[in-house]
Amino acid sequence: MRAVWIALALAAAGLVFWMPLYVLYVANLLLMYAVLALGLDILVGLAGQFAFAHMAFFGIGVYTTGLLGNRLGVSFPLPMLAGAALAAIVALLIAIPALRLRQVYLALTTFAFAAAAQWVFHSWDAVTEGSNGLRLAATRVLAWRIVDDRDAYPLLLVVALAMVLLRLSLQSSKLGRSMRALHQSEPLALASGIDARRVKIVAFGISGLFAGIAGGMLPLFNSYVHPDTFGLEGLVAILTMIVVGGLGSTFGVLIGVALIGLLPEVMRDLQVLREVVYGGLLILTVMFLPQGVAGAWRPARA
Amino acid sequence: MTRGGKPTVIRILAVLALIAPLFAAPARAFPDGAPSGKYSDPGITDTEITIGLFGPQSGPLRNFGYDPMWAAAAWYDMVNRYGGIWGRKIKLVTDDDKCDPTTLNTVVRKMVTVDHVFLLNGGSCTPAAVSAQEFVTREKVPFVMLNAAGDKAVFPPTRYVFGAFGGTQLTVGGTLIDFVAKQLHFKRIAYLGNDDDFGAANLAAAKFMAGKREVQLVATERVPANVVDLTAPMLRIRQANPDVVVITAYPQPATLAMQKVSEFGLTMPIVAAVQSVPNPAALFKNVNDPAAFKNFYYGSPLNDLTDGPGQQWVLDMYKRAYPDRTPTAFMSYGVPSAQAVTYALLLAGPNPTRESFVDAMSHLKFETGIMAGPIEFAPDRRDAHNASIFIKYDGTTSTRMPGVYVNEFRGE
Amino acid sequence: MDTLLQAFEGGVVTGSVYALIALSLVIVYKSTDVINFAGGDILMASCYIALVLLVGWGAPYWLAALVAILGGFVIGAGFDRLVLERIARRARGQDIMIAAVIATIGLSYVLKGLVRMLGYADEVRSLPAQFPGRPLFLGNVIVLRQDIGIVLAASLAVAALYLFFRFTKLGRGLRATAEDPRAAALIGIPVARMRMVIWGIASALAAIAGLLVAPKILMTPDMGIIVILALAASVLGGFTNIPGVIAGGLLLGILENLIGLFVSTQAIAVAPFLVIMAVLVLRPQGLFAGAARMKKV
Repeated sequence: MRAVWIALALAAAGLVFWMPLYVLYVANLLLMYAVLALGLDILVGLAGQFAFAHMAFFGIGVYTTGLLGNRLGVSFPLPMLAGAALAAIVALLIAIPALRLRQVYLALTTFAFAAAAQWVFHSWDAVTEGSNGLRLAATRVLAWRIVDDRDAYPLLLVVALAMVLLRLSLQSSKLGRSMRALHQSEPLALASGIDARRVKIVAFGISGLFAGIAGGMLPLFNSYVHPDTFGLEGLVAILTMIVVGGLGSTFGVLIGVALIGLLPEVMRDLQVLREVVYGGLLILTVMFLPQGVAGAWRPARA
Repeated sequence: MTRGGKPTVIRILAVLALIAPLFAAPARAFPDGAPSGKYSDPGITDTEITIGLFGPQSGPLRNFGYDPMWAAAAWYDMVNRYGGIWGRKIKLVTDDDKCDPTTLNTVVRKMVTVDHVFLLNGGSCTPAAVSAQEFVTREKVPFVMLNAAGDKAVFPPTRYVFGAFGGTQLTVGGTLIDFVAKQLHFKRIAYLGNDDDFGAANLAAAKFMAGKREVQLVATERVPANVVDLTAPMLRIRQANPDVVVITAYPQPATLAMQKVSEFGLTMPIVAAVQSVPNPAALFKNVNDPAAFKNFYYGSPLNDLTDGPGQQWVLDMYKRAYPDRTPTAFMSYGVPSAQAVTYALLLAGPNPTRESFVDAMSHLKFETGIMAGPIEFAPDRRDAHNASIFIKYDGTTSTRMPGVYVNEFRGE
Repeated sequence: MDTLLQAFEGGVVTGSVYALIALSLVIVYKSTDVINFAGGDILMASCYIALVLLVGWGAPYWLAALVAILGGFVIGAGFDRLVLERIARRARGQDIMIAAVIATIGLSYVLKGLVRMLGYADEVRSLPAQFPGRPLFLGNVIVLRQDIGIVLAASLAVAALYLFFRFTKLGRGLRATAEDPRAAALIGIPVARMRMVIWGIASALAAIAGLLVAPKILMTPDMGIIVILALAASVLGGFTNIPGVIAGGLLLGILENLIGLFVSTQAIAVAPFLVIMAVLVLRPQGLFAGAARMKKV
């Protein structure tokens, strides 16, 4: 049964390849958001850590990948991996002092870090071109160049699938179970011998890694990036995706990405209501569907 | 991943229902560009030519794009009433780019690959416009910006992208200094701008022109867009003892700056850029101190005050199309680009192609009857307009100052 | 020297602005353990309510102000009654707080979106100053009457709140509710209604702060971002320590101006974030509290 499901999904994914570039661009966006959202969910949904530095790691991934491609012409996938590694390292460094804080203070500190990071992206003209924005050269893959959305799509699909598999294997691993236990009840987790601090730090690092990979995806199908991308609005959009989709559930997150990601396309004529709809969705979901769409779909996990 | 819960068939159907919107986009059988019959380019038939018109219709920067876009639509409407261009009516596909690069990318791709427009006419914000540059160049689609300053999209010039119909930020900075030097005859100038790309561009031009006109920038302050307290930068400006203060910051910081001028009792003249003063009356009311406006000037790329005789025909055109709406400050800025598109299509002859349109645009020069200077392109020039007038405003009367001022800085 | 004093004066005034808004946040936090990320946007919405009445309906100022403050109260109390209470009943433990914070983020966006649709949002706006008139001079330092009004109001608010929490039945009830809701319920304190009232009062305070500072910082639908500065002030002050939060606000305001004078104007933008990070990591109880007394969630 699972095989049929997967086959259908792959068929749909394949069909997209023949669609107009508009559909491909939206699909590429959704793939990038999926990786970004899965990463945030690892920290917030799985491990229950209310931390909001995600866009900073996303930005580190974007600029590292973009600059390695621009200035040194390094071939895919090296710049993406370098960006992801750097993002993960910074995430770990942040985690160490930050995770000494409780919940909302953690949220505040990580949010402040993200805002400070955005200021750096905006002001460090020499490296990021600041508010002029950075032009991104076409990504090199060995001897070829990724020139348009159709070229980028298969690559992005493969990366996204790889990250989904990574996330699934994390969920069913001992580390994943420790994260869940930690989320459920930290005292209980500690009592059963879980090194809470270590699990939290690792969760932070993996979350940063995902954000860095997502950052590496952006230059594949965009020719330009502006520091405004890495601000609060983006974080709230990703947060809405995982909350509406279902915290802690891979399936839920992907549903959330599809729903929220396609919302602007479906709501073309009603853009004026965009903010109200986002905010309203957040409020309604935490009120009535605390497990998100995925939770309503299936019974909550024990 | 599947353990208990609802039947699988329902799940598969639900997943398909979720993916369906991707296919539901009005996609035709052909992937990209569906030229029909005798025309090699899409978006053109014997009776119609399709233009993709877009700008920010929502979001914080709506003010810069809503009225300009609909003013352009009013112009095309008027052209249609006069019979269209070479017998073809103009069909518009409109959309909202929210001034956001990602949104603009989707809008542009939809217009080109799904709506199959002949050319793109839109964009009021520079970063959004720049992000589309690579796509339109690759797909060879003409992209005529609406009222975006577009500095980074027109310098260096590329074949398919045309812009700066209201002037670039270089124009803003350069003409401010030109005016101060030539008309006001001051030597010591303090500058207050934003710390973003606009600020960088207009400051660079200001420095260049300061050198040329032999005047001096004695203080340079660049402030973040969402600052709430301008005490420190205004104190430094006061300390520098300038003859005149030049402000290019956005409306909120500009208003705060004028409040400080009032608070500190500064008496030197103030000359503000067009983006700083979308509504002079509102600025006056917000500052609430006539003394601060004793010697207040602001720039404008138009040929007259927004309600002056030179602008009357645009106001009439707008009123005719939208009798119930009151136009906001930047309304007429959307028309010159529509005019350029129209004239270039005329010049391109009865059977235009995208390439012949671009060639026609590349040799275009005309007076708009709206802007201070002519719209002028060249094979190596994609910034249309480079002039500015200045207006003295004291809270009750606006007086147009003599002269048209030109910027001479065109980047490194 | 004059420049330095003027910078100091400016810092005290904006610092009082931050402190006023921070008070609103702290009241909520002290009573309910929730950080109201929508505080700035409630302030913003109240200002626009006043604007609509003033400009749209030609109402007199006192009426517009009254309606705005009431409006703030209603938004806050309504949000607690309709949304937060439901969350408190449905979720458990620390999930309540996460859900509540997400809900406040949602409220923030809803308010911004609604205000943008009003039609007054396209331009920078302002409200009439309550204390207009020629500026006063302290030596060579210029002081606006509105500035004095803001500082006075902040001081009055602190004193009033301190007395309220210390000496009134409602105030003591609220503190009890915050410290131990179950015990409070056992004594017969109507916990849910108390919370609603406190959200209402805090939001009304935000509305008052808005009316005072709108002439100074100007109105746009995005003005709610000032909540970040209020959060930084609260962090500096130790979040539950009302006098500390005031001191934190003043310190932050002065610090910003000093950075602006001696470092660069651009650096002002990043200062509050650095403050938040530095204080929370190095001295989480804030600069003015005693020993670390962090709430265990």
